[in-house]
Amino acid sequence: MNSFFRKLRWLAQRHAKDAELRGEIQFHLDEDAKELRERGLAEDDARWAARREFGNVARVKESVRVEWGWARLEQLARDARFGMRQIGRNPGFSAIAIATLAVGIGGIAAIFSAVYAVLIRPLPYANADRLVMIWDDMSKSEGDPRFFSTPAEWTEWRRLNTVFTDLACSQPSNAILSGDGEPEEVPARKVTWNLFSVLGAKPVLGRVFNQDEDEKNVRVVVISHGLWQRRFGGSPNIVGRKISVNDEAYEIVGVMPRGFYFMPSRDIDMWMPASFPPDLRRNFTWHDAQIVARLKSELTLEQARQSMAALSMRVTANDFRGPHSVTMIPLREQMAGKTQAALIVLLWASAALLLICCVNLGNLLLARGAARGREVALRTALGAGRGRLIAQFLTESLVFAGLGTVAGLALAMPAMRFLERLVPEAMGATRLTLDWRVLAFGIAASVAAALAVGLVPALNGARLSLEDGLRNGGRGTTGARSYWFQHSLIVVETALAAALLICGGLLLQGFQHLSNTNLGIRTEKLLTFETPLLRYKDFDRRVAFVNAELDKVRGIPGVTNASAISRIPLTVTDGSRFYLLAGQSPDSFSKQIALTRVVSRSYFTTVGAQLREGRFFETSDQKSQSPVVIVNESFANRNYPGRSPLGERLKFERLGEKGYWYTIVGVVKEIRERGVAEESRPAIYRVHEQADQTNDLPSGIVVRTVVEPASIIPAVRQAIWAVDRNQPLARIRTLEDIIDRQLSTPTQSTALLGAFAVLALLLASIGLYGVLSYAVAQRTHEIGVRMALGATSGNVLLSFGRRGLALTLVGLATGLALAAIAARSMTSLLYGFRPNYLPTFTVASLILLLVAALACFVPACRASRVNPVIALRNE
Amino acid sequence: MNRRDAPSQVEFLQGTLDLLILRTLLAGPSHGHAIARHIQRTSEELLQVETGSLYPALHRLEARGWISASWALSDKGKRARFYRLTALGRKQLVAERSKWEAFSRAMLLVLNPADQGETQ
Repeated sequence: MNSFFRKLRWLAQRHAKDAELRGEIQFHLDEDAKELRERGLAEDDARWAARREFGNVARVKESVRVEWGWARLEQLARDARFGMRQIGRNPGFSAIAIATLAVGIGGIAAIFSAVYAVLIRPLPYANADRLVMIWDDMSKSEGDPRFFSTPAEWTEWRRLNTVFTDLACSQPSNAILSGDGEPEEVPARKVTWNLFSVLGAKPVLGRVFNQDEDEKNVRVVVISHGLWQRRFGGSPNIVGRKISVNDEAYEIVGVMPRGFYFMPSRDIDMWMPASFPPDLRRNFTWHDAQIVARLKSELTLEQARQSMAALSMRVTANDFRGPHSVTMIPLREQMAGKTQAALIVLLWASAALLLICCVNLGNLLLARGAARGREVALRTALGAGRGRLIAQFLTESLVFAGLGTVAGLALAMPAMRFLERLVPEAMGATRLTLDWRVLAFGIAASVAAALAVGLVPALNGARLSLEDGLRNGGRGTTGARSYWFQHSLIVVETALAAALLICGGLLLQGFQHLSNTNLGIRTEKLLTFETPLLRYKDFDRRVAFVNAELDKVRGIPGVTNASAISRIPLTVTDGSRFYLLAGQSPDSFSKQIALTRVVSRSYFTTVGAQLREGRFFETSDQKSQSPVVIVNESFANRNYPGRSPLGERLKFERLGEKGYWYTIVGVVKEIRERGVAEESRPAIYRVHEQADQTNDLPSGIVVRTVVEPASIIPAVRQAIWAVDRNQPLARIRTLEDIIDRQLSTPTQSTALLGAFAVLALLLASIGLYGVLSYAVAQRTHEIGVRMALGATSGNVLLSFGRRGLALTLVGLATGLALAAIAARSMTSLLYGFRPNYLPTFTVASLILLLVAALACFVPACRASRVNPVIALRNE
Repeated sequence: MNRRDAPSQVEFLQGTLDLLILRTLLAGPSHGHAIARHIQRTSEELLQVETGSLYPALHRLEARGWISASWALSDKGKRARFYRLTALGRKQLVAERSKWEAFSRAMLLVLNPADQGETQ
């Protein structure tokens, strides 16, 4: 301890200590010199001899300082200071180096923040990695391996399975809150009592409902933290409070903690008991349930999958549609969806970009390190050891990395705002923040980068021999060895840039394909919202209300038309029914399913759909025993290939003899009901005046405007409330918002990958330019000799240009191979689109070659203009 | 002539320089140059103390508290940094010395085994 404090004191007095050491050494030299003089040497000779005898003064001082115990610290500070001075001395070089690092580190840090939020951040459930979602595998009948399950299946699986500790089931629900405050529709789910225990989530206030309450249909709800705060002001007496949900009194029994959410959306505010009626528990056709299960701890997903597949086949063996298997997906994967693939591609891309940045910077430092040959030689002459030199070079690159990290994290912040839209709707809080994890990751990345970047020039610089360095003066030296190294760096850079360019091109093609998809409707100036119709249980009153509200909305200035549909187009993937065509035997139900929508009469004209044949709905289509339907092209092509379906008849399942026979009166061209990226399905449209045999309610409203759609929202509210003061409006959005939201993953990933590709191209060309310029500068003398011996400028131009081109070609070939591998992992990001690989590869290659040619041409040109007289005189 | 090539020179063993410095200072305070000369002289020029080892060793011993340093006038009237043995240093010297003696005795015993005589 004593010794430690002594050293600490010395640290404080280190300038005095240094002076003391100088004095001590000087005294030693003087004593030696005196002795030598006494032996008869001349004054000067004696001093020099003493000096020689003493050895390297600087090295002795250095070793003594090591004994003082803070030499290393001092050294680091000195090197860092020196590094800073170097930055100031060469601002252009430094700005490029720091900007390069900033781009690389900023990119990867921003992507990492999204990767963390989506793929790493713990989900708000206990042991979330044991949770799986189970869907019906209807790939045979539906072409959809992730079809909603049925409460009946849940009941059977729960009774018979051997692989789960428990399974919970939930169904869509509607909840209109009224009473205190404005009527409001809140996103709700009907869930079985055990959902919370399966997830391992506990309420922050009160309790969740129990099995008894669930089975006896007791009116209790659990609400979200958000709803508690927003609607009830965070009141501490919320538990036990009665609220009016769908005009019935429910009791709030619990509040979930902040940050709790569950499929299908983070917006869900209310969980009510599923209370399946007994007949639903036996109904294997009512596909609207979402099932989550907790795997037993000793089982793997694969084992569970096999067991459940067998069980499902057994359970559905007697189903009139034939047996089907199940699809099981880990919860995290389910929630992340397509974003997972996009993020992984982006993470790789940003890593490639960072690598390019490092390679580029390494190249720059290498060139500079060589130019600093004289400084290195001088340091060696003054007693710097090899380790000392390496430490110095590394400290310098760490200084660069430090500044680069700061700049990079500053760059990452706006990028993170951009990336936030990538977080899927099913996942919790979306704010990406520069928290300690991202910071730690960024710093780790930059230290790794600094070591990678700094070590090569450090080793290279430290290897320079003393004589060479001094003799060659400031011109520096590099042998063939370091050319070889620089060249392979260029190849790496070019290859990565080529691969990124191609991947970017592929994504761009996929994205273009998506955004050029014909949605079947005119999307601009279309406002959509929902007016839940739960309160209108009587069919005639409901029809009257819908027509009245539509009339009111049509009366708003700036509105050209308004119509209703049971599900807003492009948003809902389900809503299907089995159907039977006239003349088919009843077991054909099993194979035929179609999307069904209930619309108001003018729906198709409002959204701008196109008629293929027949007619749209008309005023004459009133409530009747012989109602009509309009089908889409898919339906017509599937069931009536090559002929007109007009006049044909069909009916829906579940109603048996009581069900109406509907007559097809029109064929509408495909509307992408299920979403932009979802392929279309056969669809059947009914008019709401004739839809008394369905529980599809035309609660979605679409409004065609001539003015900016968002500007009429207040007027729309007033119009609806003029008809019914207690009618809530929900999810008010323009159709373009809906499309933007759906395209956000492809938009963001395409834009980011595109940006990465452009940066990579830029950096690679800078790298190429740098290396060639450096080579030209190094070989000015040689060029001079060649030209003096009769080489033309054309020869010189060619010789340098050829080298650049050769490097580019090798890099490009490697890049093409890389891209071919990468492209395979990107198929899921192309949304089923099969890109045309050849043009993408060709165009990307051409762009790369063109830019590379430019980057080579400038230094090669400079070489060809070397004046031999000046070049040789320089010697 | 480079002194390193002198045939009669003996390499320092690890840690022995510390012991020699402590022993030299037992006779009284001294500066670095004099310590080096004293070791050289008393070892009949067999031991050459390199400055590159001497000064780090002196500062190391000072850091450990075995010797202390102060500036004083040398016999020739110049200011020099004099080192003196501390109480801690004295104790250390005794310990180091007995360690060294045990070591050298052991070396001798192995190198000149009494029972084998000159049979080899």
